[in-house]
Amino acid sequence: MFHLSQMDQIFLKSLADVVRTSRTTSQYDKLTFTTQTIADIKNELQSRQESVRYQALLKLFFLAMEGNNIRWAEFQIINLMGSGDFQLKLGAQLAAHLVIDNQSQGLIMVTNVFIKEFKSSHIECSSTLSCLGTIANKDLSDSLLSHVLKLTTNTKPLIRKKAIAVLSKIFTINPLNIPGNLEMVIQQLQKETNISVLACGISLFCSIMKVAPKLYPLFLSIVYDQISKQKSNWLLIKLVRISNKLISLEPRFQGKLIEHYTRLLNQTNSKSLQYELIYSIMRHFKNHSQLYESAGDILKQFLNHQDPNLRCLGLECLTHISTSVGLMEFQEQILESFKKSDYFSKLQILQLFKDFTNQNNFQTVIEFFLKYSDMESNDKIIESLIFIITKDKFINVDDPEKLLLVYIPIIAQKIDSIDNAIRFKELLFELLTRVPGLKVYSDQLCNQILQTYATQSDSLQGPTLNIVKRHTQLKYSLNHREIIFKSLIMIVGESVKLLKLEALTNIIKFLEQLNILNCYESSLSDIDSLLFKIYIQIIKSDPENQIIPQMEQLIKNIYTKLHNISIVKISFFYESLIQIKSRDQLQQLYNLFEEDLPPINLEAQKLIKPPEGLDINKSFQIDISEIEKIKNTNSDYIEQKQLIQQQQQIEQNQGEQQDQNSEIQIKVENEEELKPLNNKIDQNANKIFIINRDEELPPGINQDDINKFKEEE
Amino acid sequence: MIRFILLQNRQGKTRLSKWYVYYDDAEKIKLQNEVHRLIVCRDTKHTNFLEFRNYKIIYKRYAGLFFALCVDVSDNELTMLEFIHLYVEVLDKYFGNVCELDIVFNFNKAYSIFDEMIVGGEIIETSKQVIINAVKNIELLD
Repeated sequence: MFHLSQMDQIFLKSLADVVRTSRTTSQYDKLTFTTQTIADIKNELQSRQESVRYQALLKLFFLAMEGNNIRWAEFQIINLMGSGDFQLKLGAQLAAHLVIDNQSQGLIMVTNVFIKEFKSSHIECSSTLSCLGTIANKDLSDSLLSHVLKLTTNTKPLIRKKAIAVLSKIFTINPLNIPGNLEMVIQQLQKETNISVLACGISLFCSIMKVAPKLYPLFLSIVYDQISKQKSNWLLIKLVRISNKLISLEPRFQGKLIEHYTRLLNQTNSKSLQYELIYSIMRHFKNHSQLYESAGDILKQFLNHQDPNLRCLGLECLTHISTSVGLMEFQEQILESFKKSDYFSKLQILQLFKDFTNQNNFQTVIEFFLKYSDMESNDKIIESLIFIITKDKFINVDDPEKLLLVYIPIIAQKIDSIDNAIRFKELLFELLTRVPGLKVYSDQLCNQILQTYATQSDSLQGPTLNIVKRHTQLKYSLNHREIIFKSLIMIVGESVKLLKLEALTNIIKFLEQLNILNCYESSLSDIDSLLFKIYIQIIKSDPENQIIPQMEQLIKNIYTKLHNISIVKISFFYESLIQIKSRDQLQQLYNLFEEDLPPINLEAQKLIKPPEGLDINKSFQIDISEIEKIKNTNSDYIEQKQLIQQQQQIEQNQGEQQDQNSEIQIKVENEEELKPLNNKIDQNANKIFIINRDEELPPGINQDDINKFKEEE
Repeated sequence: MIRFILLQNRQGKTRLSKWYVYYDDAEKIKLQNEVHRLIVCRDTKHTNFLEFRNYKIIYKRYAGLFFALCVDVSDNELTMLEFIHLYVEVLDKYFGNVCELDIVFNFNKAYSIFDEMIVGGEIIETSKQVIINAVKNIELLD
C-alpha cells in the first residue's frame, strides 16, 4: 500500500474522466486506453486513501460493463467488502456479482465478511443482504442461514423484507434447509403488518411450492387469511397466483375462494389483478357459472381492447378453455382481435383454432383466415388451415366438393414454402383417396391452380428449382410450385378414366404450352406419364376418331419441344391405336400412318451398325399386301400374345378391386354414375395376327410360356 | 422470478445489466445481443412481451433506452411492465429529469436503486417514496 502525493492526486482520473475518454476514444485506440486504465487501477487499488480506492473500484466496474474481464480483481473486491468505509463497502458489494460466481474460491472469505456486516447498522446490513441475494450459492447459503433467519425478526421492515427475500433464494438453492426453519418464518409472518414484508413472504411461499410443494398445508391458512383482508393490488396479485397453485394441490380450497374472487373481480379496476383473476377462474372455476360469466365479460373487454398487450393476455386466458363450445362464445372477438394483432398474437389465435374448430365454424374460420392472411403470417396460417382440414380424417369437413373446388385452389395460390407445399400435396392425396368421387373434378382443380400459376408473371421467371448449397456440393431441390404441379399431374393421371374427352384434350393443350414445359423442367417425366395415360384413354373413348388426329399433332409438338424426341414413345401411340381400334376405325385414321419414317440417325449408326444389305435411305413403309402376308404367318403368335395379355389384365383388375373395396364405400356409387363413360371401350377388338405354332417360333416368345398357358387352359 | 434485467440503447450498447441467475461471461454477451436483436425491430403496435427460450422478455422503450426483463413463464406480464415504469419514475425523481447520460455517469446509483427494489430476483418494494428514502439514507452514510 502506498500514499499518493498531492501532485499525483491532481493527475488522478476520476470515473467521469474515464467515461468521457472511453466515449471519445476510437475503436483502434480502445485497447491501448483499456490497458493503460487497468494498469492505473491496479496501482490505485493498493493506495491507502479510501477515496482513491473508491474511484478505482468504480472505474473497474465501468470497464467490466464495457465488456472487459475483471476477474483478476476478485480478491481485491472481496477485501474491499470488509472495509471500514461504507462507500467502499457499498461499491464492492455492487461490483461483487461481476467477479464472484458459483464456483469462485473467494466465496469462502465472504462468509465472515457478511456475518460481521449483519451486526452493523441497518443500512449496511440492508446492502449486505442485497449483495447476498445476488451471489448466494449452496455453501454460502448453508453457512449464513441461521444469521439470515435471525434478521427476519429485526425491528426494521427494510431488513425483514430483504431477509425473507434472501431466504427465498436460500430455500430454492438447498431445499433441505426448509424443514424446521419455515415454521419460524410463518410464525413471524402471521404477526406481520407491513405489506412489503408480507409480499416477500408470499414470494417465499411461491418459491417453496416449486421445490417442495407438499409443504403447502403450512401456509394455506396464512394465504387465505391475507386474501380475505388485503387491499394492496400488488400483494393481491401474488396471493391470487399462489392460490392458483394451491387449488391444484387442494381442490377444496377452491370453494373458499369463490366469494373473495367475486368481490375482487367486481371491485378492482387494476388490469394486472383482473388478468390474474381471469386466468385463475378460466382454469379452475368452470363449474361456477356466475363467477365464470363475470370473468368471461371481462375477458371479452380484454379481447376488444385497443392495447395489444391486453388482447394478447386475453388470448392467453382462452387457451385454458378446454371445450370448443366455450371458445365459440368468444369467436367473434378473437377474429376481430386477429386483424389488429402482431405476429405472436396471431400465432396464439391460430393455435386456439387448431384445437377448437369444428363443423359448425369450419367455413367461417377458413374464409376468415384466407381473407386476412398477410406476408408475415401467411406461412403459419396455411399450415394451420391444412391442419384444421385434415384433422381426425377430415372430421370438420361437411362439404368436400366445396372444399376441393373453392378453398383448395385459394390455399394453393397462397402457398409460398416447401413445407406447406408438401402438406398440401398430402392433403390432396388423402382427400381424393377418401372421397374418390371427387376425382372427376381433378381436371378443374388442375386448371384452376395451374392457370393461376401460368398467369402470374413472377412464377415463370427462371426455373422452379432451388439451388441449395449443402457443404461444398450444389444440390437441387424443387420449390413449392413444382411440388404442387407434380402432385396435380399425378392426381389427373389417376383420374384419367373418369374424365371427359373435352377435359382430356384441354389438359393436353395446356401442357403443350412452351412456357409450362420450360418452367417445370424437372417434372417432364411426370408430364410424359400423364400424356401416356391421357391418349390411351382418348383412343378408347373417341369412337368417331374426331379428336385423335388433333391429338396426334399435339403429342408430336410436345415431344418436339421437350427436345427429347423418343421414337419409342411416339411409336407407342401408334401401337396403342393398332391394339385398341378396330380395322374399320383404323381405316379412317390411315392418314396418321402415311407419313414417311425418318432414316436411322447418324449417331445411332456409330453405336449399332445397320445389318448388311439394308438400304438406310429407303423408306420402311410396307404395302397392305405385305402386311397381309406377314399377318398370315404370325397370326398364331399374335393370338397367343393377346390371350396372355388378357389374362394378366384380369388378374390386375381383381387386385385393384380388392384394394378399393377395402378402403371406401362411396366408390361403388361413383362407378355406377360413370359407367356410360367407361362403356365406350371397344368390346369387339378383332385379332389381327395369328401365331404359327409348327414352324420356328418368332423371336421374343418362349416355348415354356405357351406350354404353361396350354396347361392352364 | 426475474432472471436478468437489461438497459440497452438503440445501438445495442448495454448501459445497465443485473443478473439474478448465474450465466458465464460469454453467455451474458450472447444473451444481450439476442435480446437486443429481438426487441429493437418491434413496432409500437406489437405487444411488450415475447417468448424467449423457455422464458419471457417484457420490455418497454423510453426515448432511446430499452428496459428489458427476462422472467419466468408464470409471472404476470402487466406487473412487470408496471415495475419497469416504477423504476423509470424512481430514476426520474432521484436524478431530476433523468436522461441516458445520467445513467452512464452514475451507474452505481442506478444499481443501488435496483437493489432497493429487487432482491434475489423478486420484487420487494413498490412504493416510490420508500425506495427513494432508502437510497437517500445510503447517500447520507457515504
